[in-house]
Parts: sequence; structure tokens; C-alpha cells
Amino acid sequence: MDRRNTPALTGHLELLAKMSGHLAVTLNIEDTIEKALELITKYVNAEAGSLFLLEDNGLRLTCKASVGPVNIRGVTLKSSEGIVGQCVTENTSRMVRDVSTDPSFTHSVDESTGFHTRSILCSPMSTQNIRLGAIELINKKDGNGLFSETDLMMLQTLTAAAAMAVRNARMTEVLVQQERVNREIELAIEMQRSLLPAARPAPFPVCGINLPAYEVSGDFYDFFELDDGRIYFSLGDVSGKGMDAALLMSKTASLFRCVGKTLHDPGALMVTINRELCETAIHGMFVTMACGILDTATGHVRLANAGHEPPLIHRADGGFTPVPASAPPLGIMPLDTGPEGIREELFTLDGGTLYIFTDGVTEGRLSNGQRLDVEGVKSIITRHAGDPAATRIQSVVSMLGDSGEQRHDDITILAVEDPSRRMMKNNDACCSEPLVSLTFPARAGELHPVREVVRKTCEKCGCPPALAQDLVIAIGEACQNVVRHAYKGVDDGQATLDILCRDGMLEFCLTDTAPPVDREKVKPVWPKEVHPGGLGVCLIHNIMDRVEYLPAPSGQGNLLRMVKFFKRHKDET
Amino acid sequence: MKHEVIRKQGASIVVLKGDIDLESSPAAREVLLKSVEGAGKVLVDLSSVTYIDSSGVASLVEALQAAKRNGGRFALVAASDPTRRVLELARLDKVFTMYATVEEGLKA
Repeated sequence: MDRRNTPALTGHLELLAKMSGHLAVTLNIEDTIEKALELITKYVNAEAGSLFLLEDNGLRLTCKASVGPVNIRGVTLKSSEGIVGQCVTENTSRMVRDVSTDPSFTHSVDESTGFHTRSILCSPMSTQNIRLGAIELINKKDGNGLFSETDLMMLQTLTAAAAMAVRNARMTEVLVQQERVNREIELAIEMQRSLLPAARPAPFPVCGINLPAYEVSGDFYDFFELDDGRIYFSLGDVSGKGMDAALLMSKTASLFRCVGKTLHDPGALMVTINRELCETAIHGMFVTMACGILDTATGHVRLANAGHEPPLIHRADGGFTPVPASAPPLGIMPLDTGPEGIREELFTLDGGTLYIFTDGVTEGRLSNGQRLDVEGVKSIITRHAGDPAATRIQSVVSMLGDSGEQRHDDITILAVEDPSRRMMKNNDACCSEPLVSLTFPARAGELHPVREVVRKTCEKCGCPPALAQDLVIAIGEACQNVVRHAYKGVDDGQATLDILCRDGMLEFCLTDTAPPVDREKVKPVWPKEVHPGGLGVCLIHNIMDRVEYLPAPSGQGNLLRMVKFFKRHKDET
Repeated sequence: MKHEVIRKQGASIVVLKGDIDLESSPAAREVLLKSVEGAGKVLVDLSSVTYIDSSGVASLVEALQAAKRNGGRFALVAASDPTRRVLELARLDKVFTMYATVEEGLKA
């Protein structure tokens, strides 16, 4: 090594160390380039220095830092313009000892600033083949004002360090940005979760599951109770996935909850939601939705379906009935309907369950890669028919979790049970372990004590006295029908009354061993001419929430099952 | 069930007491139909009826129809809560003429 160069080399190393130190502590890109340029300009002893970064996807070069008599910060050039542009484009350093002899020198900057450029040093900033920009030094302060090869080498070294610093600062910026986006996504997830209703313990008859494919979901379900005890429920699927779908989902779910509180007609509610969505339509996005009202006392459902995959009624006899859409999806165009809204399907669950699900379920993949399809949904539901509803829909979802592949669609299922479904299952319990089981001779003279037992049992279960009185009337009528009709006056018949009480529900099972009754004859038809038999059946139907004539469990005789829901006496006060 | 028939101010007051159910309604039916045989005013005092079922209600309806046929007047008075409730549930409370008290029934 040439001894005469030693002081210069030491100086270079000192500068490098100093610069690296500066650049290491700053992650702010503006600060970084400002400091780097200052140090380089000073060290190379240039009259002016400027740092250009590529912007606009590499189309333009913008001066981000400037040192010297004229501040050219903010000046922009085409990415191939001038000596800077050439350096960046070709990714090579350049020294123009005398600009007056170089054809690629652009005089425009000098003309606008009044600065006189004589000599230029320019070195491109790039890391791992990614071009960032360039540093340009102008006019050596001492000597003849022209740069030397040593100056160029010095600039190249320093530029490489500056490029690293710029890259680090940019990466940090991206990280910070990403962190912010992540936090916002977390908030969005939290927000969306809060839109889903909390699971309600049995015997609440509606439950649902929503599994987003990615962070946020374009599906939703919701349910809430109306003041009269009926339950409003809905499930929707927004076209597309990701944040835009999630936002439209949030809007639709909010509309359902808000408007549904006062508009108790699913068909009309859909029209209102559609109008709102159309008013602020996002091009090409729409919502398929099914919503309905369950009458918990009767199992009666009013269901409106706007473009949604047909929900399935799993009937008590094991069969399935689809409920097709009666309107197009929401958010596309105003619906041309009367004030009653889109057509509602009216049906009684009758011991069955209604399932509403999104296409993420039917198009989901099983572990063998096959699509689940509607048939798959039916078969899982059938296989788990004995489980509680929440377990049943969980079983469907877990069949889709095994494929190991990233899911591409949100999975959402809602189950709406007939409140009496659980009673069907409890039926055995009712007959094997009732609160009261009373067997009595089917004779007119034996009915008074039976009524007294009914009254006392009802009151013991927390029934308000007026309701207990009504139930005594209903059971009295049921018993006297057994006496009058079932045994047709024959004196040796017996009847058994089982009473089961649970969760605000009283269930009465009246069994006889008489020949099966003709169901047509026990229909509650209001008689034009009052005769006690028909009147009694009407009284029973007026008082009870559910009345069913079933074959007796023993195989011989009749089982009349009557159910009454009630608010406990002490709950009311 | 117990019953008595009182004559007062030209009217027959049939007082029914206790439970009128499948067991006792034949007796109630008999006394009611007998009381509406003439064309007079019949008041059925239900204040002491503790329970009435559809067979009892049917007896009342039958008596009402017979009274109309015979040109008499037939009214229920002082119906006890259980009686009133059954008539409401059977939607028959508007079919019968009802008075809150025996006195009101006599004045009408």
C-alpha cells in the first residue's frame, strides 16, 4: 500500500464508520438521505450534492435531498434524463470532468437555478439489483473544480452504504405500515365477531356457526327475539371475499337487526334492505340472503329467500324439503313488489329443523378432495339427527376442516329447530320419568281429583294461577274426551296422565288404551251447533301451544300430547 | 254440583254450585231445561260455580236455545271467574246475555 495514501484511507474509513453509525440509528427515510448526502458532499469536498430517488414506478427521478448554494429539492426528471438518469438506467457510475464537453448533460436545471455546473460525479444507488436512485456531486470546491477518479471511488463506496440505509428505512416503513394494517384487520375481525349473536343455551331453538376463509367474513347470520317471543333469524352471503365483502356484510347485518326490530315481515324487510343496499351500491357486489320468523309456540315459520342457496327443512319423517328463492339477490336493483315485499314461504317445522347455509358449505371440500354438495350436507345432518342442533352443524363444518387446503370461501350455517323437537326427544323421558304420573279409571266421576292434581302440579311448577286454571280446563276436556269417546261409555277403561315440567314448559301426555281415534274427528272445528265434544277440542287448542295426537308408545291406544310454554309466576313479578 | 231454583220478582233464578263437569252436567242440563219450559225470565246464578267444562257449557247453550224457542228470556248472572274464563275461551261470552249481579238481572 502506498504510504502517501494512508491518511486518505484512514479518512475514508472514518467517514464510512461515521456514516454507517448515523445511518444505523435512523429509520426515517428523509433523515437518512439528508444525513448521508451531507456527509458525502462534505467529505468529497463538493460544492453541491443532490440525492435522487426513483418514483412513480421508476418513471421519474425526484430530488429528495440537496446540499449547496441552490436547493433543488423537489426537482423531478424523467428517469432517463440527464447524467443522473443515465447512471440510474445503466446502473453505472459516471464522472464528467467537464460538462461543457458532455452531450448528455442537461442544462435545464442550471438554467432554472442560475447555478454553473462544471464537473459532475454520479453514482447509482441500488441494492440486490433493485434501483433506488443516485447521488450526484457537482463541482469540486478546491483545485480546478474538477473531480478525480479517487473522488468517484469514494462516492461509489458511500453511495452503496446510503443505498443500504434507504432500503432498510423503506423496509421499516413497510413493516410499520403492515403492522398498522394488521391492527386494523384485527379490529375488523373483532368488530365482525361482535355482529354475530352470542350462542344461546338450549332450549333456545336457533344456533349458528360462521368460519371465515380469511381474516374477515363476507357471510353473516343473526337472530334475536321479538317482544312476543317469536324469533327473527337471518343468514346472508356477500359476493366476493375480503375487506370490501366484509364491510358490505357488516352493513347488511346491521340493517337486518335495526329494521327487523320494527318490521316483522321477512318479505317486506328484504325489500327495505335491498333499497338501502341499492342506494349505496358498490359496483358488482350483491348479497344473497334468507331471513324468517319462527313462532316458538307453534313451530310456524315465515321465510323469505332472496337469491340464496335453497335452505333445507329436515322434516320429522327424515325427508328434506328445499325452500327456493323467490327474489333475486339484494343490492342489484329495486325489487318490484307490493308493500308486502317478496313472497314468503310459510311452513310449520312440525318436529323438523330448518337449515340455512352458504355455498361455502356445499362447495367445501372433504378430506378426499370431493365437494360436499347438498347431498353431503343432508347425509351428515341425517347421521347426526340424534345430536343437539349445535353439534349437528358443527359436524357439518368439521367435515370441511380436514382437507388440509386453505379454504377459499366462508362457511356459515344456521339451524332453526322446532321448539317441540326437543320435546319429541323428551317424550320418552316424559313417559318414563314424569313429574306426575296418574292412572285413573276413565269414568266421569273420577275427573275431579285428576283436575285437582293438574292444578296443584301447575302451580308447583311456577304457573301463574290464571294459567293453571286454563290448563285445568284443557286437561279436563282432554280427559272427558277419553271418557266419552275413546271408551264409548264402556266402564273398564283406564287413562294415564303424565305431567313433565321443564324450562318454562309444561307437557301433558294423556294415554289411553282405547281403539285409535279418528283424527278427523278431533280437529278443532268450530261447531255451528254447540256440542260438547267439538267444543272441548277447541278449548284444548285455544289453551295449549301445541296439541298432537300420536299412537300410544305401547302400540295400543292413543297418546294426546299437549304443551304449554309459560313465564314462571315469580319471573313476572 | 248442587243446585236450587228460587222464584223472585216473577223470574226463576237457577243457582248452580260447585263443579259442572261430565259427571254433573246431566243434572244441570235437566234443571236448566225444566226452568225454561215456560215463557218467563230465567236467570242462571253462576257465582258459586267452581268449574265448568264443555259439557256444562253445552247445557247452558241448550237451555238458551230452548228459552228462545219458548219465547222466554235467559241470562247468566254473577258468573264466577272460572265460568267467565271458559265462556271466553269458547268464544261464547257474547252469545249469552250476562249481568254482573242477580239484582241487575232482575231489573233488566
